[in-house]
Amino acid sequence: MSTDQRERTRIPPAATFPPQPEASPDAAPTSRRRRAERFQHRLFVTPSVLVLLVLALYPLLFIAAAALSRSSLGQPFQEFTGLQNLRAAAGDPAVQDSMLLGTAYGLGVAAVSTLLGTATAVALWRSVSSGAVLRTLLLLPMIVPPVIVGILFSFIFSPSGGLIDTLLRQFTSFSGSFAVLSDPSWAIIGVAMADVWEWTPLVVLLVFTALLGQDPEILEAAQLDGAQPVQQFFHVTLPTIAGTVAAAFLIRLILAFKVFDLVYVMTSGGPGSSTQVPAYLVWRAALQNFDVGMAAAITLVLAVVVTLVTLPIFHLTKRLRDD
Amino acid sequence: MIETADAPSSRMIEGAATPAAHSDEPKRVRRGVGRHPRGLPGSALSLGWVALAVVVVLVPLGYLVSLSLMTQGQISAGLLFPAEPAWQNWGNAWNSAIPRGITNSLIAAFLGSLLTLALALPGAWTIVRHRTGGSALSGLILSPWLLPPVVAIIPLLTLLRMLGLINTLPGLTLVYALMNVPVAIWLLDGFIRRIPVEIEEAARLDGAGELQLLRRVVVPVLGPALIAVGVIVVILNYNEFLFATFLTQSEGSQTVPVVLAGMLSERVQDFGRIAASSLLAIIPIFTIAVLLQRHLVEGLTTGAVK
Repeated sequence: MSTDQRERTRIPPAATFPPQPEASPDAAPTSRRRRAERFQHRLFVTPSVLVLLVLALYPLLFIAAAALSRSSLGQPFQEFTGLQNLRAAAGDPAVQDSMLLGTAYGLGVAAVSTLLGTATAVALWRSVSSGAVLRTLLLLPMIVPPVIVGILFSFIFSPSGGLIDTLLRQFTSFSGSFAVLSDPSWAIIGVAMADVWEWTPLVVLLVFTALLGQDPEILEAAQLDGAQPVQQFFHVTLPTIAGTVAAAFLIRLILAFKVFDLVYVMTSGGPGSSTQVPAYLVWRAALQNFDVGMAAAITLVLAVVVTLVTLPIFHLTKRLRDD
Repeated sequence: MIETADAPSSRMIEGAATPAAHSDEPKRVRRGVGRHPRGLPGSALSLGWVALAVVVVLVPLGYLVSLSLMTQGQISAGLLFPAEPAWQNWGNAWNSAIPRGITNSLIAAFLGSLLTLALALPGAWTIVRHRTGGSALSGLILSPWLLPPVVAIIPLLTLLRMLGLINTLPGLTLVYALMNVPVAIWLLDGFIRRIPVEIEEAARLDGAGELQLLRRVVVPVLGPALIAVGVIVVILNYNEFLFATFLTQSEGSQTVPVVLAGMLSERVQDFGRIAASSLLAIIPIFTIAVLLQRHLVEGLTTGAVK
């Protein structure tokens, strides 16, 4: 790709090295040297492997063991209980509701973010050439800590003097109070709006960059062939950015599945259990009810749900990007 | 990708019509034609949409600034702009646990990020260049990132308790350092692929060992990329809340999101003071992001979508 070529020109000349006595170019490539290199490579990946062990394997084993036993926060693994926790978790309507809510929330937020983000990226691309200033501006929501985004949107939705409340009173004849976050069906939408506000800019940025990276010659060829602008967009531009759009959707979906901070700050899972997303449910089971066994079982259910939902999209993304 | 890596002069070209006294002018202008087809319907619509997007981004932030300068009475009365600025909100925010929280956050964020880079770079380079660990390692590396982090909390809590690092800033920093290694490797991957293999080969012919190669060739060439990935990790750390609430329960070690969340659970909520505190917390991270915005954009675009 052209990027590679550009990069090459920016690279400083390589430093020269004092020849190493035991591995001079003449003696190389001896098998001894190659073995030493391989050893060093293993050494280099050791931290990464250790991180995987601490961050993935250890929690996985811990959770599996906790799910199969009676475990509290202070005293894990008290006694082996077999599949009891898992059966309880999978059969619990609260868990099922939470998984459904999490899936709907994730897909909904990812879809809205991707649509709005792609539309904005295309509009931006049509309006400005590089958009350096606008791009910096778009970075801002992503950089605001989610806790503050939650606080900010709680203020915006506040029924006593919040932004929406005030605007409604000033510009319409509305005189009641509209408390978005205390309404069982609106609360999750309020959280979703904060989420969309925070992360849609990432989609804009990724898609905009893909638009800038289009091969100008293909576009030109299409123009010379007399393709109309609309045709050009749908037949040339859209296919080139499809992979990026799909990847952005995937990243967005994973981020939305993990939502916790916003719910914690804005609704604490309420009203009722209307915003009890899976991450919040796990947190409550483990750190409010101290039932680590149950929390672990819910986590395993969640892992299955996340895998089932993301896998097809993962494969779609891969296919679109390999074209 | 291309634009961000470009010389600043080219980003000033607005549209196709502007002539540019730059060596790659012909190519640029031609490309401009391709990108801005003449007579396209709906250009006004595009501009309008962009303007709307800017408003949507800025209004909430502006509202926060406005709130930070209002008394509770003014807010309840439904004012959108302060009648007269209530600066005491900022004074109150400054004289609370917020500044210490910010300091703690910055320490954990920066040290964590440096450690993450130190751990991730050798691994990322070796995985890309030498396929050590095979497809299993490169496929598994991102797996911890896929699940909600709440999954790892209890196991890590247990581990830190054993190490005696619970409720300390070093403990949190260590967790941050480990937590972002997968993401850092994933982001660095795109940058490492762009280094021409030839320079590494040249250095190897000169007799450089693998460690020297890494230190004297890969690190300098990757300089901008390391900054880019480093900034992203700093921001992720600075904004992190879930682990911080658990691992820093003692007041002295709390990071700024934890302090802010604590303010929300106070019985009497003072919107103005919370808004001012939030803005205080945003200022350092915004400054870093704006100063390094080119690196940040490049890190996000090159790293996340290859």
